[in-house]
Amino acid sequence: MLADRPPFEDLYRDFLGRIYAYVRAQVTSSADAEDITAQVFMNAYQAYGRFEARNTTPAAWLFRIARNATLDHFRAHGRRERLRRTIEHQPVSEHDPAGMAEERIQYRALLAHVARLPERQRDAISLRHSGLSFEEVGVLMSCTEDAAKMLYHRALKALRESARAEMA
Amino acid sequence: MNDDEDLELQALQRRLDDAFQSTRPRTGFEDELWSKMQARRPVWVRVGDFLSGLFGTIREVPAVPAAAVAVVLVVALGIGIIARSGIHVGGGGSSPSSEFTSTSLGASRNQGTFGRLPVPAAATSVPPKVANPSSDVAAGSPANSYAGPVNLAWAGQLPANLANAPVYRYTEPSAADADQFASSIGASRQAGTAGLPGSYAGSGFVLGVTGSISAFAREPSYAITPDRSTLPPPGPTPVATADAYLAAHSLVPAWPYTVTTANAADVVRVLYLRQFDLPGGGRAYLVDRTGERYGIEVDLRNGQPLQALGPMPLYLDVAVYPIISGDQAVRSALATSPNRSASNVPTVQLTNVDLAYALAIAGDHSFYEPVFVFSGTFTQNGVAYVKRVIVPAVGP
Repeated sequence: MLADRPPFEDLYRDFLGRIYAYVRAQVTSSADAEDITAQVFMNAYQAYGRFEARNTTPAAWLFRIARNATLDHFRAHGRRERLRRTIEHQPVSEHDPAGMAEERIQYRALLAHVARLPERQRDAISLRHSGLSFEEVGVLMSCTEDAAKMLYHRALKALRESARAEMA
Repeated sequence: MNDDEDLELQALQRRLDDAFQSTRPRTGFEDELWSKMQARRPVWVRVGDFLSGLFGTIREVPAVPAAAVAVVLVVALGIGIIARSGIHVGGGGSSPSSEFTSTSLGASRNQGTFGRLPVPAAATSVPPKVANPSSDVAAGSPANSYAGPVNLAWAGQLPANLANAPVYRYTEPSAADADQFASSIGASRQAGTAGLPGSYAGSGFVLGVTGSISAFAREPSYAITPDRSTLPPPGPTPVATADAYLAAHSLVPAWPYTVTTANAADVVRVLYLRQFDLPGGGRAYLVDRTGERYGIEVDLRNGQPLQALGPMPLYLDVAVYPIISGDQAVRSALATSPNRSASNVPTVQLTNVDLAYALAIAGDHSFYEPVFVFSGTFTQNGVAYVKRVIVPAVGP
């Protein structure tokens, strides 16, 4: 129903940053994150006429599109490329202080650890900290709310171990 | 899981909250993408938007004379206040870049009035959080901050009425300004880089400088990282080490501040919380969009500097604006709780209000504007939260 649907511009303004952050936590370059985020909103813009607010929340709808776009990106680049990029991804480089300044502000180092988690754990962390409820995370990941909670907590512990290992 | 592990995971969750909330696309991306999307729309839809925008502009025209009256008032008030406050009044005719020297970084100049002001980001929206604890390093926030909907009530004491307060404006720095700042602390631009953000290197450190980042309301900032092979020995206290590190790089803030420390995992963060002078001798803290105080952060590990992050010293023009009364501020704060009838929405008694400053980024010129920060604590599902409401202090 049209009356249930906020203007797309509102959605764009409210969710652009969150979607970007979600995507950025999955991929290893801000350029890729921008490309995927652009694709997400292009797709959402075209599909907004079919969005039914009574069936899902705008957040869940947009994050589903974002999740699919990110998976498409990985498929297009191939698993090998993804693995290479993940392995090559290093913490903040001292050779790029400007990028470092921005990354320092943007907590890039932590998100780099998130990006190295197994796919489902990464997804659970990213969706949850993008503001979705466990119920919404479960729906998007095709599991129950309780399973989403368990997955999230396992991911959190894995993330802690990853961060510890780097500091050691 | 023992208590330490539990606390560690909670700290990690808070860092994740902060990381996701502060990770935003570069400045300009939002507008670029929106333009691309609009370009793909059918022509007749775009024409319709153009016309409705035009009519909107026409409807706003009657507001201009009122703004002009306010401007005259502001100029008159401004001159009196500035004369008493000791704010440096610079030569109006010279350009900021021509005056940009290391000895006068961070100075303020009176340039009359700024006209109608943009609304600080802090007062427009606070990003939603999940479990929503505030950063460990936040000053004066013993509980988690809460950004969800609430019913609000006021049960505090109004602040002493202040009739007017300074508004500060900076011009978005150019790459040349960033170069000059870097030069003032002994760094030069790295080969093969240009523009902003800028990358610089000095003796035993590297420096990054960014412009304003509107997505999460940050002023032009620097991050300085020491070469780990030339780290100074730890000082007697974290604050002493941070002081020495800033002093060694000519980065001791020229503005008023208070110092506090916080721990996150094995990092000690020393915070120099920025303040602005108020008429009558008081001071107000600078707050971010969630109402947290901020300024320069110096991170230390094993007692040695890891990195320092702070606002790039900039000239601040100043003009004085009338501010709303405490009563008006309370009404505005309470008006932000539209869900009064919802049964599952917590009720929060706001018990404290402070005058603070918040950043409003607006293209070539951005502003530090006075705001009222209301706060109150409540408990939900056994978790203590602090709710903050930020209300612009400059009247409409």
